[in-house]
Amino acid sequence: MRWILAGLVVAGLLFWWVTEPPSLNPAALPDHVADSANGELFFHAGSCASCHGEDLAGGLNLHSDFGTFVVPNISPDSDSGIGGWSDLAFVNAMMLGVSPGGRHYYPSFPYTSYTRMKVQDLLDLKAYLDTFQPVSNNPGPHELDFPWNVRRGIGLWKMRYLSQGPVVADTSGSSEIERGRYLVEGAGHCAECHTSRDRFGGLELNQWLAGAANPDGEGRVPNITPHQDGLAAWSESEIAYYLESGFTPDFDTVGGSMVAVQENLARLTDADRKAISAYLKSIPARP
Amino acid sequence: MYRFLLMICTLLFLLPGSQLLAGDSPQEQRHELMEQSKDAAKPVGGMLKGEMEFNAATAMASFESWATVAGEFGKLFPEGTETGYDTEAKKEIWTDRAGFEVELAKFDEAVSRAIAANPQSLDELKAAAGPVFKSCKSCHEAYRVEKE
Ligand code: HEC
Ligand code: HEC
Ligand code: HEC
Repeated sequence: MRWILAGLVVAGLLFWWVTEPPSLNPAALPDHVADSANGELFFHAGSCASCHGEDLAGGLNLHSDFGTFVVPNISPDSDSGIGGWSDLAFVNAMMLGVSPGGRHYYPSFPYTSYTRMKVQDLLDLKAYLDTFQPVSNNPGPHELDFPWNVRRGIGLWKMRYLSQGPVVADTSGSSEIERGRYLVEGAGHCAECHTSRDRFGGLELNQWLAGAANPDGEGRVPNITPHQDGLAAWSESEIAYYLESGFTPDFDTVGGSMVAVQENLARLTDADRKAISAYLKSIPARP
Repeated sequence: MYRFLLMICTLLFLLPGSQLLAGDSPQEQRHELMEQSKDAAKPVGGMLKGEMEFNAATAMASFESWATVAGEFGKLFPEGTETGYDTEAKKEIWTDRAGFEVELAKFDEAVSRAIAANPQSLDELKAAAGPVFKSCKSCHEAYRVEKE
């Protein structure tokens, strides 16, 4: 009995130790003059407004198998928003999924992709968020079932699923494909919808962008690898035109949750949309 | 007589539901009108993408084709046509008719403006067709489910 108890205590301590939310070293932040115009591009590439709202005030409910997440206010309001946050706090949230109070965020906030963003681009993004009007709004807590309501447990999940390295290593030395990879795997968080998940909700990297069940219910989120089940028949310029206009090569329209994403991508530069298309045509084709 | 009736019933039963409604069912007409909208969008999109040379008459023919659709489409959603013929119409068309009418009006207005603008260059075409394309998308977003 005593041994079992001791075992439990040791296991508990170990759990507490390995799930300790980390923080970046302040020295990791470069000297950087923030460029809010570049920040605006990443705001659109990241579709922040699709979840946090055009005014950033939050309040949207995201339903999932684990319960309901309520999207927080990220306007520069110092009480209910993120107005008082330091640069370091913001970068910790976006790259490590850790709050200023040292708690883990749920991956319903797609930092699992944003973690691949460059610190400079994140600082620019923060400068852009700072140009918004502060809105006082407290959307309230998530409604999650046990054990998902224990944030500390996310530490274990992150050990397995949070990684900053690129997913598709080979860009054939093309700087265009590299830019596309950066946008798709990072800010664009395309895989969060287009890649299937295992039973713990982690992305199946060996099925990268090969389509997934649609969390909205009907149908599937399509395969966007260059496989015949995916974008094999689409030329690079057709993909770019789709991202710009929302029309498929057959002149049907974009639908579902891709509409908001497409409208955000329409605000990037032609070169960036071309880079995204070049990357999508270069990745391994999967059924 | 009884055998004959039974045979008719069996035949009707064997035919898929969609075929029973074949011909002029509202579901089928809806589908045809949308296919027509798509075919009208192809040359306009081709010009905008630079795959096709600008041609004012072709563009105008597309606008007029959309105008026909805008005039007819709204009449094709009577009660009882919520399903059948693999319709992609969302039930919201029947539960939120007013919202659907707003989308129809947006489409109709964008098309009327495009016709009035009578674009004579690629830039003018872009300005005229943009709002129409936008209205296709926003109506689909709210009132159409895509099926594979
Ligand atoms: C898919 C929806 C979604 C998108 C897209 C999204 N977020 Fe969030 N975000 C959330 C959710 C949900 C939370 C709350 C997570 C939690 O409480 O654990 C959150 C939390 C945050 C927080 C922490 C707020 C706080 O009060 O602690 C910041 C900062 C943030 N998001 C910034 C962004 C930025 C910047 C973008 C765009 C690059 C973005 N988010 C895109 C859903 C989203
Ligand atoms: C919020 C979820 C979500 C995100 C994020 C997302 N997509 Fe999509 N995407 C979808 C859905 C759903 C569809 C199907 C749209 C439809 O039914 O018309 C789609 C369709 C597409 C298509 C058309 C495929 C086809 O066969 O019709 C392309 C290309 C695409 N997405 C690229 C991207 C890229 C690139 C990104 C990242 C920058 C991205 N998507 C991010 C949900 C998403
Ligand atoms: C007012 C709403 C509305 C507007 C505007 C609209 N659509 Fe549609 N569209 C629908 C609905 C509803 C359906 C599903 C109809 C059905 O299956 O019964 C549909 C279906 C379609 C389809 C699939 C056809 C099929 O059945 O396979 C295409 C393609 C299409 N629309 C193209 C367009 C284009 C292109 C435009 C603009 C030029 C457009 N639509 C404008 C509501 C609209």
